Amino acid sequence: MLELTELESGYELLQVLWGVTLRVEEGEFVALLGPNGAGKTTTLRTIAGLVEPIRGTVSFRGKSINGVPPHQVSRMGLGYVSESLNLFPAMSVYENLLLGAYAVRDKAQRLSTMELVFELFPRLHERRSQLAGTLSGGERKMLAIGRGLMPSPSLLLVDEPSLGLAPIPTLAAFEALKRLRERGVTILLVEQNVNTTLRIVDRAYVLEQGRVVLEGTGKQLLGNPHVQEAYLGI
Amino acid sequence: MPARTSVSAMRAFLADRRVPVVAFVLLLLVLPLIPPFNRQDFTRYLVVAVFMAAQAVAFDFTAGYINVVNFGFAAFVGLGGYTSGLLAANYGLSPWIGIFVGALAAGLLGLLTGALTLRLRGIYAAVMAWFVGLALMGIVRNWADVTRGSLGLNVPLFFASSDNLPYYYVILAMLLVTLLVLALVIRSHLGLAFRAIGQNVQAARASGINPTRYLVINFTLSSAFAGLLGGFYAHYYGILTPDVMLTSRTVEVLAIAYIGGRGSLWGGAVIAIPLGIGVELLRIQFSDLPGIHLVLYGILLILVMIYRPAGVAGFLRGLDARLRRGGSAAHEGE
Amino acid sequence: MTSALNPQTVPLARRLLSFTWITIGIAVLVTVVVGINYPSILVSTLATGGMWALMAGGLALVFGVMNIPNFAHGEFFMIGSLASFTVFTPIQNELLEHPSTLLLVLGPFPGMILAALVGAAVGVVMEVFLFRPLRRRSRDQWVMNTFLLTAGISVVLVNGNQLLFGNDFRGITRYWDVPPLQVLGVSVAVDRALVFIIALITIALFSVFLRSTRTGRAMRAVSQDETGAQMVGIDLNRIFMLTLGLSCGLASLAGASLLFMFPSYPSVGVQPLYLAWYVVILAGLGNVQGAVVGAFIVALLQTLTVYFIGVGWVDVLPTAFIIFILLFKPSGLFGSEVKGVWEQ
Repeated sequence: MLELTELESGYELLQVLWGVTLRVEEGEFVALLGPNGAGKTTTLRTIAGLVEPIRGTVSFRGKSINGVPPHQVSRMGLGYVSESLNLFPAMSVYENLLLGAYAVRDKAQRLSTMELVFELFPRLHERRSQLAGTLSGGERKMLAIGRGLMPSPSLLLVDEPSLGLAPIPTLAAFEALKRLRERGVTILLVEQNVNTTLRIVDRAYVLEQGRVVLEGTGKQLLGNPHVQEAYLGI
Repeated sequence: MPARTSVSAMRAFLADRRVPVVAFVLLLLVLPLIPPFNRQDFTRYLVVAVFMAAQAVAFDFTAGYINVVNFGFAAFVGLGGYTSGLLAANYGLSPWIGIFVGALAAGLLGLLTGALTLRLRGIYAAVMAWFVGLALMGIVRNWADVTRGSLGLNVPLFFASSDNLPYYYVILAMLLVTLLVLALVIRSHLGLAFRAIGQNVQAARASGINPTRYLVINFTLSSAFAGLLGGFYAHYYGILTPDVMLTSRTVEVLAIAYIGGRGSLWGGAVIAIPLGIGVELLRIQFSDLPGIHLVLYGILLILVMIYRPAGVAGFLRGLDARLRRGGSAAHEGE
Repeated sequence: MTSALNPQTVPLARRLLSFTWITIGIAVLVTVVVGINYPSILVSTLATGGMWALMAGGLALVFGVMNIPNFAHGEFFMIGSLASFTVFTPIQNELLEHPSTLLLVLGPFPGMILAALVGAAVGVVMEVFLFRPLRRRSRDQWVMNTFLLTAGISVVLVNGNQLLFGNDFRGITRYWDVPPLQVLGVSVAVDRALVFIIALITIALFSVFLRSTRTGRAMRAVSQDETGAQMVGIDLNRIFMLTLGLSCGLASLAGASLLFMFPSYPSVGVQPLYLAWYVVILAGLGNVQGAVVGAFIVALLQTLTVYFIGVGWVDVLPTAFIIFILLFKPSGLFGSEVKGVWEQ
């Protein structure tokens, strides 16, 4: 469904990715792991269209989406939940979710998806009139994920959902992702929390210094010595 | 081989920045003395051009180094002019002293304005400076008892004769002094602080610099020079109206400074000469189309902002860098 | 724009006592006092205040959504007034020759509508041919660069007008050639009353648009988080065109509406520009609601200064006032940044 081929990408003065190749099949739950600065966020941003690739291709459903502007990528069914969340702070939870479904023309569909989101995150329903800027860290993450779900994307890119969260909200976030997966949403997850992640995903890639250095199933990587040494502290 | 050595020596000679500067200054010094340029009207264009050049330098000192656009710049120039002019007209003070009093007055206003507004965001500070300028213009216009308002204030001239040449050397001297003093300040630790603040205020603060103090120093200096130049204006034209403080005058100076290249100091000065002369010629040619020179400035400013934000100076610096690379490559070939 | 304080937890009394509300309170009090004693001043102030609200609102909108401090905003006032004059003059002549009630009542509107459309169109052209290319090249120092760019545009527009149409004052005495209304014993010029109503309707429509429509919401989203807006599928270029078009259209509408007060000439936009900027800085950059409210306060301030203190001080006093306010609240009366921060 999603395929990156020898992707090179980066910013004006700094190239970050030096040939990343990975793929995500329909229905899979794949993780992208690696240390800080490896280029995980850049990878997601490039897929989402926020950064233009220098070389290589990003293809979605067989078609190249290099250079496609982010709002069109979103409308193609590629959802993105960014690391910095990019919520609309002066708007309510309800309005944020509504905007998530900006490209959805069918009002009934919008409403039913919103119900789904509220079912997934009851806390959001409680605080639906509250301004997004005044929510707690965990609630903001939930809102970001919820908003990402509103257009019913076929593929969801999620960047570090557990970042900055206490253990309980972290578990809640992972729970939500698992339930999404059960509903058939394909997910590409970027995470620092290697242990938990490897236990819930199908496959994972390890990114270091802009290149894929390891790939395998969750179990395989958990048993991998390099992974154990560098990321699991064993 | 002697031939190749002299080529690379010549390249090095040309690349040495002092040469173009000295050449340029020499050119300016002798230009109005050489035919066919030794005519009164041409000298007059030169006076205007160099006047704009000096203003552009003073303006760029603030805009290019601490990233603050003094949008009321023309009012500070005007303040210097009116101060010196009034003192000369009403109290017989010699213009040669008056211009420094004008500089002082403008500098004080700059100090006040800076202290009150420079702690705000860049755009706030620029607009506040604009408001101060408008207020000043309004005061001058309405205080007609003293300033004669829009009727115009008659001001004694520097020299008895109507020859433009001595005035040219006065303004040229002012340009060189302005450039020299401000360039020296830039090279000092003050200049370093300016650049640090201009780039990133938080970082500057973290390194122990108090940004507001330096911003105010910069702004005050720039205003003082503006006032000095205003004094020249007063005693050259002999008549002052509140229109000298119009925002469009600031935009003219601003356009020259940015077309010349922000943050270069000399960029505006250099580009002001051909631009200033060209504009004067344009004005003569199309005297039935008032304001055409402003349209030209406007279009040039727009084009520079979109396509060449670093201005002419930036373009020349790029050329210079390429020349140097070419020179050293030839060296390596030996 | 995030509020530094959570509006749901600060007790009502404390909020009311805030600097902002005290200022508004004083303004309302003064308005009432003035209204009772000098009603004609009040009417005049309401008419201009309404139009300054449109201008300041437009300016705040462009700054909030696109981060552009539009220094050419006043020139759209000029464009609007010229457009309306051009359309209304033949209508006026027609009315003189063949008086008709329908034409009398509806006559001014084609000019105003055309003015708004022309202004909007020029705004869109500016976005497509000037701001979009700049955006593509670099976002570095965006605010300063666009400020200077619009200064250049302003100069071109003013002098272009002068070159093309000359320096003459093109004015009208009245839009609606009817005797003044008598309201509660006060003589109210019909023009001023209707202009105030036009302003109120426009503000109301604009407010509804921003608050409740899909596109209006999208505009607000872009002003709060551009990347987030892209992520939910909003086409930034379209929103920018719409924003600038709307902003310039509002300014042109103001210029058209106030033609009877401000005749059309090349630099007629200078005062409206100053007022719009004054309101926006006073209210807090990018805050559209604050700008609308602030406009009425500023209109009042201006009228009071001219009437009671004298024309000479009309420039100094407002400047001193705004410096004073900014010393205590650097983000403006309604602004909500914690401190006056330098932009990075």
